[in-house]
Amino acid sequence: MSGVSKSKTNVKKIEITVNGKKVTVVRDTFLLQAVREAKAAVPTLCHHKSLTPSGSCRLCVCEIETRGKKQLVTACNYPVREEISVETASERVLTRRKLLAEMYLGRWPNVPIIKKIAKSLGITESRFKSEHTDENPKACILCGRCVTACEEFIQEKILDFAGRGIRRHMTMPFGEVDPHCVGCTSCAYVCPTGAIEIIDDLNGPANPVMIRNAGMKINAEMATLDKSQNKMRALGTATIVEVMDAYDLLPVMNHQYGSHPDTPKIGVDLLKEKYFTQGTADGCWKGCSMACSKAVDGFQLKTGPYKGQKVTVDGPEYETAAGAANMGCFDMDFLVEFNFYCDTYGLDTISLSTTMAFVMECYENSIITTEHTGGKELNFGAVGEVLECMHEMARGEGFGVDVGQGVRWLKNKWIKELGADPDFLQDIGMEAKGLEYSEYVSKESLAQQLGYTLAVKGPQHDEAWLIFMDMVNNQIPTDEDKAEALYYYPLWRTWFGLLGLCKIIWNDVVPADNNKYPPTVAAKVPGHVANFFKFFEGMTGIPLDEEKMLNQSARVHNFQRIMTRMLGFGTREHDMPPYRAVGPVTKKEYESRAELYDKQMKEIIGIDPEGKTTEEKMKITREYRMKKYNDVCDVVYRRRGWTKNGVPTIARLKELGIALPELIEIIKDDQEV
Amino acid sequence: MIIVNNRDKLDWHEDMTVRDVLEKMKYTFSLITVTVNGELVQKIDYDTHIVPDNARVSAFHLAHGG
Repeated sequence: MSGVSKSKTNVKKIEITVNGKKVTVVRDTFLLQAVREAKAAVPTLCHHKSLTPSGSCRLCVCEIETRGKKQLVTACNYPVREEISVETASERVLTRRKLLAEMYLGRWPNVPIIKKIAKSLGITESRFKSEHTDENPKACILCGRCVTACEEFIQEKILDFAGRGIRRHMTMPFGEVDPHCVGCTSCAYVCPTGAIEIIDDLNGPANPVMIRNAGMKINAEMATLDKSQNKMRALGTATIVEVMDAYDLLPVMNHQYGSHPDTPKIGVDLLKEKYFTQGTADGCWKGCSMACSKAVDGFQLKTGPYKGQKVTVDGPEYETAAGAANMGCFDMDFLVEFNFYCDTYGLDTISLSTTMAFVMECYENSIITTEHTGGKELNFGAVGEVLECMHEMARGEGFGVDVGQGVRWLKNKWIKELGADPDFLQDIGMEAKGLEYSEYVSKESLAQQLGYTLAVKGPQHDEAWLIFMDMVNNQIPTDEDKAEALYYYPLWRTWFGLLGLCKIIWNDVVPADNNKYPPTVAAKVPGHVANFFKFFEGMTGIPLDEEKMLNQSARVHNFQRIMTRMLGFGTREHDMPPYRAVGPVTKKEYESRAELYDKQMKEIIGIDPEGKTTEEKMKITREYRMKKYNDVCDVVYRRRGWTKNGVPTIARLKELGIALPELIEIIKDDQEV
Repeated sequence: MIIVNNRDKLDWHEDMTVRDVLEKMKYTFSLITVTVNGELVQKIDYDTHIVPDNARVSAFHLAHGG
């Protein structure tokens, strides 16, 4: 078979007739969109493309015929669900529409948009003048767009209508400025008459309108697209727990495995159904239109100093839930309590769960015993023991004090004091540069392995998260492709992080037309990069493009790398991962994915695994993977303008205009290329 | 046989749809852009768009972690 046939019936598409012309639309498309696709002109006043339609102005009225029955409907909020015939300018329609336009003109005779609509219907004078006629050309015409925008863009209800009939007007509560209003400007953005004007210019931006317009685009996308994309508003970052499990990327039992049958027990569906209680927005700042943070109210604690009390817990986020999987603790009550006490004690949920996972694997391998843990049996899944360790840590007592020092410190202690195998501990201790790994399995993504270890602060993924791009999409197959991604993304993410812009509005919701770009371009989300550049230009007055942005960021990034060098890191040896971040450390781990590893050995490495023992295959896999790691590391260093030892070259500093004597002093002895 | 993401081989069958390909690949993420032989397939057409034998399917996941 060749070519593409569409023999299967698509029940989601419906054919309708608009003014005698056939149009195919997706079921539930609003009629206004359908008639516009048929190039039919229908006037609107209250309608805005980014807001839920209300049909309140009724100017978009059209006549439809269904099974021989005719009726008038407002096109903006009428969903097409069956075959219909539509007339957009029948006599009945025009009579109603003209009457409405005349009434609007009588009340607001000088508002340009009303004059324009009335004129298009042949009306220039109105019979309906009264004492309520408002001559102001920027009068509020009660269309309600601002009320809807306040609720849908930033999930507030600051504006609303008051009064009835002819006294109906738009206001804030009690006619005063509501302190909840943060001046997000959504209302002004959608106002069709200019009745709401923005006059502030806090911080003296060069071009406040440019900033506002870019911001409004983001707000509109949150309101219209997020619900069909990642659902960050409804579910927050925990929405990806099951996604990571499905793609074998959720760290389970100290990053040994990538999925587990019990994942739904810490998944977002359960959170949504039984735990998340705050139905309102909970953003990092008042006015964020994404407001992805979530909370659990009235949670009764089972342990610790607040045992028995009902508390509010801010979270859990993805990383905290994934950290529970990493400790083998598939228990939602535990997860929420762990989250609460981490917040209360000031502990990082990532570092603590990755450290605990390491401790648990050491316990299960008898490297430590109850003698060292103060009697706690720290097997994977030991929820009560994990919480007890946390409480000890907070009290500065017992084994919890040791756990609080982190993976690197524990490795050194147990090698020195217990004679533990240093190679094994290095392999399974998920840290680099002294920082614990965040909660993604990087074994099958070479680019991510380096994304983790080359990050200035250590293996946190905020400089580069390339797993899907590399492992799933296969869009950066060569060493050079990976190096280019490891050049661009850390600089891009460093740049917008420095500006205080959020990652989530970059690519957790994406423009509807982002799929028009080829994958390597689409991955950058060009529409949102443009928004961020407008924020910069709007504030500073300096236009920006990709090259300028990358150079701005590279100055900071290289400066940071040199600071790291000054602190005793920042060279190749500190960019080396624990092997578990690269491949299977144990026999059990290899055998859990034997089919995949054997296939790779045959097809990629070029060695037939047939007849080889698991140990032999592990050795071959390890040698290959570590060689590839080092090969790509070389290419990344070159692309970044660093030496083979990972130190910025003086030539690169000159190129960036940061060849300061203080910086050169730190790196001058590390310049062999 | 069809090729997914320029790497993974999948057995083809008569009337194979885009939805079938995504299910076989266990691709469940919400932000995926699919092309079949370079032609963009909208989400609404996943159940009806027939993938021909020897097709090259791209299932581009847009995600950059937390």
